[in-house]
Order: sequence, then C-alpha cells, then structure tokens
Amino acid sequence: MENANFRTQILTRHLQNHAVDSSSGAAVSRAPCLSYAPPEASASFDVSSMRKLMDGHNLGERDWLFNLMAQSKLFNPRLRGGKVFVAPDYNQSMEQQREMTMKRIQYLLDRGVFEGWMTGTGSEAEMRKLALLEVITIFDHSLAIKIGVHFFLWGGAIQFFGTKRHHDKWLRATETYLMKGCFAMTELGHGSNVRGIETITTYDPRTEEFIINTPCESAQKYWIGGAANHATHTVVFSQLNIEGKNEGVHAFITQIRDADGNICPNIRIADCGHKIGLNGVDNGRIWFDNVRIPRENILNSVADVSSDGKYLSAIKDADQRFGAFMAPLTSGRVTIAVSAVYMAKMSLAIAIRYSLTRRAFSITPNGAEVLLLDYPSHQRRLLPLLAKTYAMSFAGNYLKLLYVRRTPQLIKTLHVVSSGLKAALTWHNMRTLQECREACGGQGLKTENRIGQLKAEYDVQSTFEGDNNVLMQQVSKALLAEYVATKRKNKPFKELGLEHMNKPSPTIPSQLSSSIVHSSQFQNDIFCLRERDLLNRFAAEVSKYQAQGESKESAFNASYQLAEDLGRAFTDLAILQTFVEAENSASDASLKNVLSLVRSMYVLVTLDEDPAFLRYGYLTTENAAVVRKEVANLCSEIRPHALALVDSFGIPDAFLSPIAFDWVAANAWSASQD
Amino acid sequence: MASTNGETDQVLVEERSCGRIFMLNRPKQLNALSSVMVSRLLELFLSCAEDSSVKFIIVKGKGRAFCAGGDVAAVVHDINRGYWKSGAEYFRKEFTLNYVIATYSKPQVSILNGIVMGGGAGVSVHGRFRIATEKSLFAMPETALGLFPDIGASYFLSRLPGFFGEYVGLTGARLDGTEMLACGLSTHFVQSESLPLLEEALVKAATSDPMVISSIIEGFSHAPNLKKNSAYHRLDVINKCFSRRTVEDIIEALERVSADMKDDWISSTVQSLKKASPTSLKISLRSIREGRLQGIGKCLVREFRMVCHVMLGEVSKDFVEGCRAILVDKDRNPKWAPSKLESISDEMVDRYFSKVDDADWEDLKLPVNSRLPAYAIAKL
Repeated sequence: MENANFRTQILTRHLQNHAVDSSSGAAVSRAPCLSYAPPEASASFDVSSMRKLMDGHNLGERDWLFNLMAQSKLFNPRLRGGKVFVAPDYNQSMEQQREMTMKRIQYLLDRGVFEGWMTGTGSEAEMRKLALLEVITIFDHSLAIKIGVHFFLWGGAIQFFGTKRHHDKWLRATETYLMKGCFAMTELGHGSNVRGIETITTYDPRTEEFIINTPCESAQKYWIGGAANHATHTVVFSQLNIEGKNEGVHAFITQIRDADGNICPNIRIADCGHKIGLNGVDNGRIWFDNVRIPRENILNSVADVSSDGKYLSAIKDADQRFGAFMAPLTSGRVTIAVSAVYMAKMSLAIAIRYSLTRRAFSITPNGAEVLLLDYPSHQRRLLPLLAKTYAMSFAGNYLKLLYVRRTPQLIKTLHVVSSGLKAALTWHNMRTLQECREACGGQGLKTENRIGQLKAEYDVQSTFEGDNNVLMQQVSKALLAEYVATKRKNKPFKELGLEHMNKPSPTIPSQLSSSIVHSSQFQNDIFCLRERDLLNRFAAEVSKYQAQGESKESAFNASYQLAEDLGRAFTDLAILQTFVEAENSASDASLKNVLSLVRSMYVLVTLDEDPAFLRYGYLTTENAAVVRKEVANLCSEIRPHALALVDSFGIPDAFLSPIAFDWVAANAWSASQD
Repeated sequence: MASTNGETDQVLVEERSCGRIFMLNRPKQLNALSSVMVSRLLELFLSCAEDSSVKFIIVKGKGRAFCAGGDVAAVVHDINRGYWKSGAEYFRKEFTLNYVIATYSKPQVSILNGIVMGGGAGVSVHGRFRIATEKSLFAMPETALGLFPDIGASYFLSRLPGFFGEYVGLTGARLDGTEMLACGLSTHFVQSESLPLLEEALVKAATSDPMVISSIIEGFSHAPNLKKNSAYHRLDVINKCFSRRTVEDIIEALERVSADMKDDWISSTVQSLKKASPTSLKISLRSIREGRLQGIGKCLVREFRMVCHVMLGEVSKDFVEGCRAILVDKDRNPKWAPSKLESISDEMVDRYFSKVDDADWEDLKLPVNSRLPAYAIAKL
C-alpha cells in the first residue's frame, strides 16, 4: 500500500513538474507522464575535428557509403519515433538472411563500392577499402564477413600466394564478382593449429594435375564462409606430398560450383547449420574426393611443382615457408580488431545517449528523478569503457597503418602487434557490449536496440582468425624469443617496443598524488615497469622449468599465468603509446584537453582493474587507493563531455537505435498501430 | 473575416476562428522572401505557438507564386557593397524560421498553388501538410546561381526516395504538382478550384488534430497521373547515377547511360549539370550527403556555415557572378571560377564546412523550445 502511494506521488509530481517547468507562463497542454527530453548539448570541443582524428581517413567515402545504405529498401529501413533506422531483420530465417546478404552485396557492387578493391594499388587504395569495410560492419557483421572472405581471404590469397598468371585471371573477376571465392583452411580436427591439417594433395605428372583428397572425417573443411550456398571457387589449404615427402601446407585454387550453382563432381558440401549469430553468412563444410586440378592452380609465389613433379621453393626452411603462408591472415586480424572497436563505439553511443535521457529514482522528496548518467555508479560502468574504446580506436588506426605500410622487416612486429590487439580489442568489445546491454536495462533486450544482438553477432571474433588465448600466448612467446636472443647477443633491445628495457628500470613515486597519476610520464613508466618485470619473471620461470629438464614447449605451457599477464602488459602499453601519438597529433587545445582526461582514465582504470599491479607490487595498497579515487574523480570530469565524445564516433543516427533518441515516441501507442 | 494588417503589408494575416492564414504578399516579386517578411513570419509563428486559441496555420501566396525564394538580389547587393554580414543576418533569421517551422507543434497547411522555389520550400516543406495543385512548380535552382540548396534542403532533399534528392538539388530540375506528390515533397494534391472550399472546411473543423486535418484534405484530394516524360519515371537511372560518390562520377555515369541509348532527358540533365557552378555542385552534393545522416538542426547549422563562406567568396565568387548573370544583367552566361570540377580540391570544399574565421561570427544558434520534443522531428 505504501508502495502504491509512493508511486502515485511520483506520477503526480511528473504531471505537476511539467506545468511548473514552463517558464514562459503560457498555458501548457498536459503531457501524459514522462516526456522525452533530448540530451543537453555541451560540446567543449569541435566534434567534427574529433571525428576526423578518430576515423582517421576517408571520411568522404565513409559518409557516401552510409548514404548508399540508408537510401535503399534492401537495408531494411524502419521508422521509429520520427526517425529512420537501418538494421538487418534478424527475425528472418537463416536462408532469408543469407539471401539478403547477397542482394546487399549486389547493390553495393552496382554502385561501385568495390572498385579498386583487388585491382587498386598503393596504400591509398588499401585504406579506402578498410574504411568502407568498417562502414559495412557498422550495418551488419554478416555482410562484412561475407565481403571480407571474398576480398580479403580468397582475394588476399590470390594476391599474396599467387603469381602473375593467377592475378591476371582472378583479380578483376573477383572485384566484379564474376565468381565468388571462399577460403578453405580450417578443418573439423584443426583450427588454430593449421600446420596439423589433414587434407592431402599429391601430384600426377602424367596428366600434370594435383589431386586433392580428404582422407578422413576430421579432415573435412569446416566453417568455410560462403561455401554452404554461394561460393564458386575456393583456396584449399592442404599438405603437399611430393614423391613421398610431405612439403608442408600449400594453397590451391579449386572450383567447387559451376556458374549455375551446381556442386562440381568429386566435391561434397554440407551446411554448418544455424549459429548463435552471423546467420547471414553461409558457413559450410567441404570434402574433396580425389579432386583433380590443373598444375597451374597451385598458388606458387612461395613454392612450386615442376611439370615433371619436382618440388621447387626459394624458401628452404619449412617453418619460414609456413610463416609466409600465414601472412594474409594478418589482414583478417587487422579488420577484426578495428571492427570490434566500432562495435564498442556503437554500443556506447547508444547506452550513453540513453543514460542521458532516461531517469530513475529521485534522491530528494518531490525532486525530479535522476538521469542515469548522473549516478556515479553508472558513470563508473560506462565512462571507463568509453576511455578504453578511445584508446583502442587509436590503436586500431595505428595497426591499420602498420599493416598498409608493412615491409619485410616489419612482418614480425605486425604479427605480434596484430595478434595482441586482435585479442585485446575483441575482448574489450564483448565486455563493453555486455555492460552496455545491462546499462540499457530492459530496452537493451530488444533486438531493435542492437546491443543485445551484437553480442551474438560479434562473439565469434574472439575465436576466428586465431583464438584470442592462443594469440596472446604467441605475443608472450615472441617477446620471450626476442628477450632470449637479445640477451644471448648481449645487445640492446631494438624491436617489439622493448627499447625501454635498455634504460634503467623506472621508479614509481612511493606516494602517488592526483597530479602524478595524471602525468603521461608516470603512466608510461608504470606500464613499462609492468612489461619489463613480467618479461624478466617469465624468462626466469621458463628457464627454471627448462633447467629441471622440461622441454621449451612444456616449460612455456607451465608458465601460462605469467604469459597471460605479460601479453596483457604488452598490448596495454602498445595501446597507450598510440594514444599519446594521437594526442600529440591533435592540433586543437580543446581536443588535447579532453583527450588527456580520456587517456588518464584509460591508464588509471587499467591500474584499478588488473590485479597484476598489486600482485607484483608495482602499486602499494595505498597507491592503489589513490588510483581508485582518481578513477571516480575522472568519471565526473568526463561526464560533461560524454555526449560529444560519443557523437565524435561518426556513426550516423540511422545506424544507432531508437533508444538512443526519442524512445518515448518510438514506443508510443500510435507508433505501435502503424 | 478580420484583417489585422493593412494591404501594403508583405505578410497578410487573417484570423479565421481557430485558424491563422498567412498570405505572402509581394506578388510582383513572386513573393520572394524579403528580410521584412522573414522577420514577420518568425514573429507570427512564435506568437501563434504561445497562443492557445490558435489551432492551425495556413500559409499561401498572393498571385501566381507561392514563393519564388529568398531575396538573394538584396543579399548580393549587400555583398557588393562589402556588407556580407547583413546577408549573414538575413540567412540567420531565415534558417531560424525554417527550424521553428520544422519543429512546430501545431499543424501547418501550405498551399503551393504556383511557383515554389528555394526559400519558398523552406517555409513550406518543413511543415506538416503541403498541398500541391495543377499550378504548382517546384525547383531548387541554387546551383545555377552559384549558391547551394539551403533553407534546410539538405535535410528534406536527402530524404526523398532513393537519390531523387541529389537529382533535384544538383540539376535544379522543375517538378510539377504530381511529381511533388509522387516524391513526397507535397503530402496532398488538390485542384486549385477546390482550394476555397478546402480552406472553409479547415476553418470550420477548427482542430489541431493532424489526423482530422489530413482526412479533411483527403476529401478534396485526388490522385493525379504522372506525365509521360516525368523524371520520376526515371528513378532507376537516377538511383544508378546520382548515387555515385562525386559529381564527376555522377556525370560520367550519366554519360555512360546516354552512350547506350539516345535520350533527351539524360542529355538535358547532363546539360544542366554542366551549366551549373562547379563549386556549387560539389558543395551541394556534400551537403545533401551529410544532411542524410543528420537531424534538421545540424543541417541548418552546417548550411549557415556554408552560406557564410559562399558570401565571403574566399574560394569562389560564383554566387555574385551567378546572380549577375541570372538576376541582374540577365545574360544567362555566368563565368564560373573555378570553371572546372577537377580544379576544385577536397580542401577547397572542406573550407565551406568549417567555422568562419571572424571574431564577430558565430555558428547558428537554434531556439530551444522546452515544450517540444526538441529533437528535430521529420515531417517529411
């Protein structure tokens, strides 16, 4: 009963407030209960300059593509609360979603979106391609993946593993979708461990053909995007057996369907079936029953087989050959890492906009209810994630440049950085999506509000193109190898960002203060200290196990706890350094001011959340308390900038969701009658 | 019938029970919006918003035009005397009026019985009901004048079906009442002879319920047929070509289509693009593309920046030249500078979208109306 009274009072207050609020004094029509008030605009910096810094490149192309999608019925526009939103219809069946994906590709193809994606050269063409793929991913992950498989995996394999004869035949055909490509690498029995795949290829010198075979069920190709319905050609990864000797994994072009979509002889294809997300992509399984392909179908930039059946390779070392084959997977990790950041941006833009318009509970009698984002606890949930997303956005831009400007000398760095960032950014995205979903309460559960569905659509990112845990171990392994080699040569560190280890260990002030923790010197020092100390500890532990007679591999496996901490330390530091660079490149003082707050938040919340800082004593418990208090202070300092910070993400309203705007109108009775 | 204004006033106001009828009254100038008219309309709209006895508003024009646009001749006159800032004040007021109309809480019925161009669209298309007739003639001719579709056109043009808005905004194509209805620029089509009866019916109903008003207008409406050679029949070509990323690409795409088949409509479309100011084309396209992704408020703020840069003439003085050639000397032979699309760089286009570097200059500040869902609601 008391509850009911309280509720009545609140409702009455809303109605009265409305009349009292009108300062003009004119008669006001009674609004029914709550009405939507847009978030207050209080940008202290130029949002479009910030967007330029965040998106980094090809803004005109991005907006053009947003326009193309917003303007076609194929992209499922819906009117909600006076605004049009575009998002896929996830209520469609798997088959319908797959057909829509192909129709959307055709529409984009007809309008020239893919021009230059295979035939363009130079870093400009590559950056354009990456920008457009990012925009596509903001609309739908399935669409981006379907396009990514065709251009980056199939097309990338042709580009990187193929030679002129393949380029002439396939690049233009790929760009115009004369054929549809897929990428048959993973098998039922082997995913991350590509070296262990079981598909076998032999050579028949009499007919000058390769014979590809799936020898057992675990060798069936699995998860092959595009294979179940649409792809006409594939790049098959297979062990190559020449004159009884296994030469390791090689890649071959094989046709799997004719132009009418009929499956070719000696090929069997089955569907992977319905998935928790990404159902607009037709993942399939492929069996090869001694399929014969012409000799020229071997992608021979790394190794070749002569017509009389001799194995030829410029790279004698099998490990290096394998490494060369893995190179195109880097592009996948780059695009995955960057798209993960865009999803975090999207969910934060929605959740923060909602939290600036949705109120809950009054804290004074008869007072208005409080905006969600005015609760310190709500700030603590969203604003640190916002800061991390900014940091990772800069890291994503850096990774793209590293990829586009790659040289043979940078391949190792690219491999390590892309592994670490792919894992860190996709994990961050999943965590952000969950927090934003919860921060939107019940509204977060509606598919039309996007965030909940994105959890299902993007979950796969922590697995494909390298399992995140495996990738992080590779980071630590690479750091250890660098450490051991450098120590053995007794030379200074000069790779993988370890140069700071040539200097004396940084000292952390025994008594931290607010001004110290805001300084970029301190922030860099403590991240460097963590990486350096963990690398020393990791190396010591591994060698301890080795001294006890363990193999290098099992010593490494046994030291997994330190390996995990070290992988995180490396990526956090790399991210911080890209943030500092981006901050320095900002021309405007107002931009720099807000970015320095965001950077401090990124570092301090990392110190607050990663137990390694306390575990290994980089922070005393007193200093950890200072850090924790400063995180709360930063929340209230960033709060006034929250709207402008998410507006700077450059995601058009139509690609967000109804709760980001007038959610009262979107849910009005009259709106439900249309 | 009570008239509150003398006959010489540029806006005549009639009070008809709960309705207010604003009649644009500069028939000799085709009701082009003078600074006085803009101020008066703004004042009228704001006071009627507060006046609970007013239920709806009708806007119409005297003579053969609804409104042929803003008074650009006066603005150019100011620019030539070195007073671009008085031009800026004119646009500031006009765009504020556009915003007030776009976010207005009471239904506005605009009777577009004649010419509707530029600024005329700005005082009607943002309102709830737009009635076209067999006499309607709509165009956004700004690119031929060295200007760009302003008055919030980047908002409403970009929301027309497909890429029809790019077509209308870049070429200045003329639309009749039927085409306006087909593309959504008007909400109803009524024969002009029925207009007096329609007005009476609205006054008699004395309601602010948009559903009721809509059904009253529907009672007088009929569904006209598009003329055989209407551009609206060419929507597929328009979508294919005008969706291209740049003006150059659009022209190239049109020429490619016309190479495949001889077609007068395509050649005249290409012709009008080639006659327009190249700078205007580039900034117009970008403005419409940005407008598609923004609310009406942001559109007007951006267009205000753009129009100030147009008047400042730092990149191009095509506005002055266009007005000279079309409105003053009437030789219809403007000398555009830069004269070629390819000599206009992205950086030059960027300039139009940046803040104006002038100590006294401010971005357009839009009025905040606490009782409205101030989030700009599309009525289109």
